[in-house]
Amino acid sequence: MDNAQHIMTLVSSITIEKPWGIDVPNYFWFTGSSAAAFIISSFAHVFGWKKYKPIAGIALLMAFVLLVAAPLNLVDDLKQPGRIMNFFSYGWENFATSPMKWGVLLLIAYPILIFFEAQALYRPYFVKIAQQSRGLTKMLNTLLAFGNMDLSEKALAKDHKKGYVLGAIGIPLALAVHGYTGYILGAVHANVMWHTPLMPIIFLASAMVSGTGLLILLIPLFQRFLSERKSVDRDMVATLARLLSWFIVADLVMRFLWLTFSLTFANGEKYALYQYFSLHFQDTLWIDYVLCLFVPMIIGFTKLRNIPIVVYFGGLVTAIGVWLFRWNTVIGGQEIPRTTPGFLHYTPHVFGQGSIVSVLSNWGVLFVLICIVLLVFPWDEEMEECYKGAENAK
Amino acid sequence: MSKENSRRNFLKKGLEATAFAMLATTEANAFSSQIPGRDEKDSRHIGQKGKHFVMVLDLRKCIGCQACTSVCKIENEVPEEQFRTFVTETEIGEFPDVRKAFLPQLCNHCDEPACVPVCPTGATFKREDGIVVVDNDVCWGCGYCISACPYDKRYFNKRTQTADKCNFCAQRVDKGLLPACVETCIGGARVFGDINDKNSEVYKLLHNFPSTVLKEAQGTKPQTFYIGLDSRVEELFSTTQSLDDIVKAEEGFKREWEKARGEVENHG
Ligand code: SF4
Ligand code: SF4
Repeated sequence: MDNAQHIMTLVSSITIEKPWGIDVPNYFWFTGSSAAAFIISSFAHVFGWKKYKPIAGIALLMAFVLLVAAPLNLVDDLKQPGRIMNFFSYGWENFATSPMKWGVLLLIAYPILIFFEAQALYRPYFVKIAQQSRGLTKMLNTLLAFGNMDLSEKALAKDHKKGYVLGAIGIPLALAVHGYTGYILGAVHANVMWHTPLMPIIFLASAMVSGTGLLILLIPLFQRFLSERKSVDRDMVATLARLLSWFIVADLVMRFLWLTFSLTFANGEKYALYQYFSLHFQDTLWIDYVLCLFVPMIIGFTKLRNIPIVVYFGGLVTAIGVWLFRWNTVIGGQEIPRTTPGFLHYTPHVFGQGSIVSVLSNWGVLFVLICIVLLVFPWDEEMEECYKGAENAK
Repeated sequence: MSKENSRRNFLKKGLEATAFAMLATTEANAFSSQIPGRDEKDSRHIGQKGKHFVMVLDLRKCIGCQACTSVCKIENEVPEEQFRTFVTETEIGEFPDVRKAFLPQLCNHCDEPACVPVCPTGATFKREDGIVVVDNDVCWGCGYCISACPYDKRYFNKRTQTADKCNFCAQRVDKGLLPACVETCIGGARVFGDINDKNSEVYKLLHNFPSTVLKEAQGTKPQTFYIGLDSRVEELFSTTQSLDDIVKAEEGFKREWEKARGEVENHG
């Protein structure tokens, strides 16, 4: 290759500017999994599906911690994190057209709502602990019960009603808190991969997959090592595995619609997308689809779901697979050229802002938050009581 | 005054003082549907009412000398390896019928900009004279506008750490000067002016010659018009695998993205 060509190509590739790095797919994964955990908890709290009652509390708590940790990714991705107040104070005229702006309301309202729902659920337990303890524990639990120490039937019914109402309001809110992230991408008409009205729904469907996958990993872990019962509820694992399979079906349908339309029936920009998927055909097919979707789907739909270790594997690969899907969408979409010839390539840094370590730290924060809620909320007692209740009913 | 009253008075005063202190501290961050600069009608934010600035790029006259590219960097203190404008250089045709083609590019100052409505802080907006600008005291660096611009004409300025792009040299235009690139263009390919003024050169050019805009289908209504644009040059926008990839592979030209994010200083 001669020099002239060098100059030519390098001049044509000036100002390659892609703003979003590794923090963004991670943020999407967190909000998505949170929404999924919330919906699963609502199965019991709102729809009254008894099967899910024992894990509804813990799912709710996971929804809470995931969403508290999630926005930290966004702050890390900002170039001027010190100006965060500007997001709240200015630019309201763009509210209707900037999905990012919707996040202001959603990211505030949603965790508060979950907290109050969890408070209503656990209040009787806080009261019991407060009554049996002294000093700091008593104070903390009285505080968490909001000072309402009434354990009468009437008061409990009121808690229940409160949980139900908040859960019902929470469902659309949970869908919105993740759906809006899909909207952020879908609204960008300059990006051939993102620009589809299906994007929020694709995101929701895959979020249900990753969230269920995550619960499949966490709940047995909590039950086996942190709870009184010291054993895994294998039926629950099988139930979740089957649920996961149905979510995968929904996810596959959405992706099928998306890809078939955007690769064949779209306008001229389909060529770039086609090229992108041709380039990544092998990894997309074998990793994203076969390993991370088809295999867990088969596990959940067959007798394999009765073997916990196989189900854990399925949960793990779906959680990872959806993370990869978020990555491929956010990063992949930006790799497709708009004004420069040739695909771009992104390799995150190891250290610094928007780096691998910052994402890992975010997971660290999540871990700490999980520890805190597990310590503060009497999830174990509540879960045990649900199991007892179910047995008594039999 | 009874004891009761004086206590009430004291409380009232205390409350007033607190409220005042709260107001005073939040004043800098008071709510605004826009941003303070626009609320205060700062002339840099409002621009020249009644005018509508556009640029015409007469490709018949562009020789790809990059004088505009360099003068823009100087005028606007654009950091190293970042550009507000540049001239893409390419070859079209097949031997022996080949020729060079140049495509000067800059922010199109779209009439329906894709970058503006998505901005969550209102930091980027269109002035009344059509110039799209960024208030880099407000921008929090989320990058939504950069993602949204179909023309890739925004970047994070390494120095200010905020979204940046061509502003038609508003700082010069407001003083009655021409944008630096227009001033310096040796071939006279860049023409700038107020399209509402029927005597302006841009008005005459656009009414006497066929012109076009880039990526019309994006619906952003660009206000940077091209005369003599060859559709094959525009095809450059939709080529995917290209010479660039070969060069990048050969030179180990990696981490270009972070370079654009302003995170690494040099190649590699
Ligand atoms: S070219 Fe891009 S940055 Fe400039 S106004 Fe249009 S959409 Fe905005
Ligand atoms: S980077 Fe700045 S100008 Fe661009 S959308 Fe975000 S806040 Fe607005």
